[in-house]
Amino acid sequence: MEIAVTNETDIAIFAIKGRLDAVTVPELEQQLNQWFEGTGKKLIFDLEGLDYISSAGLRTFLSTAKKMKVRDGKLCMTRLRDNVKDVFTISGFIALIPAFDTLGAAQDSMR
Amino acid sequence: MLMKKMPARIESLHELLAFIRNEAKKRGFSEKHLQRIELVAEEALVNVFVHGYTHKEGEVEVACLGSDEPAITIEIRDQGISFDPLSLADPDMQSDLADRKIGGMGVFLIRKMADRVDYRREGDSNIFSMTFLNR
Repeated sequence: MEIAVTNETDIAIFAIKGRLDAVTVPELEQQLNQWFEGTGKKLIFDLEGLDYISSAGLRTFLSTAKKMKVRDGKLCMTRLRDNVKDVFTISGFIALIPAFDTLGAAQDSMR
Repeated sequence: MLMKKMPARIESLHELLAFIRNEAKKRGFSEKHLQRIELVAEEALVNVFVHGYTHKEGEVEVACLGSDEPAITIEIRDQGISFDPLSLADPDMQSDLADRKIGGMGVFLIRKMADRVDYRREGDSNIFSMTFLNR
């Protein structure tokens, strides 16, 4: 798994590539914890390069959504591949975190 | 039947999943099916890693059955504490974000994505099996 974090204006974009599973999820958690030490209120998960997600990944997305709610921030995801979207749909998580087809639409939703 | 035995630790996950994926691929499953098989296998294996052996080191054994059929049955065997994952209740899908819990999500995905699941206790072993049909 690879994570690239970019900050465009006040929006942080986490581009996650590869596999998000029980082995790799601590890496993402560490990066997120670091980000949460700041005061950012806008976060986008760009999943264009994400091949695979399991419940370990869902757990991190859920805890991120909860933390963002506490600080009255905005969280969304974009460019989900079909199989990743499947997991979000079956788990019902698609209703908890807004998903957009394009990065532009995700950014617009933050404004 | 092909079988692979490894320490019941998270470090074994990728090698076991690669083994399972390869066996399913030999049976002609599509990429879409392979992804689901891998996901379900991960959820079942991680259950064993986390809950199976709480105070000691142990092993997990994965067997892939049904090489002559358009299906695959994956049997996961461990000698940890007696535990039937299928006894877990489904997660509450209706609660809102603040109350939403992740517990039980792994087993929920197993139930939704596998065509057949079964648990049995044989002697000192837990045997959890999952079947996928190739269709």
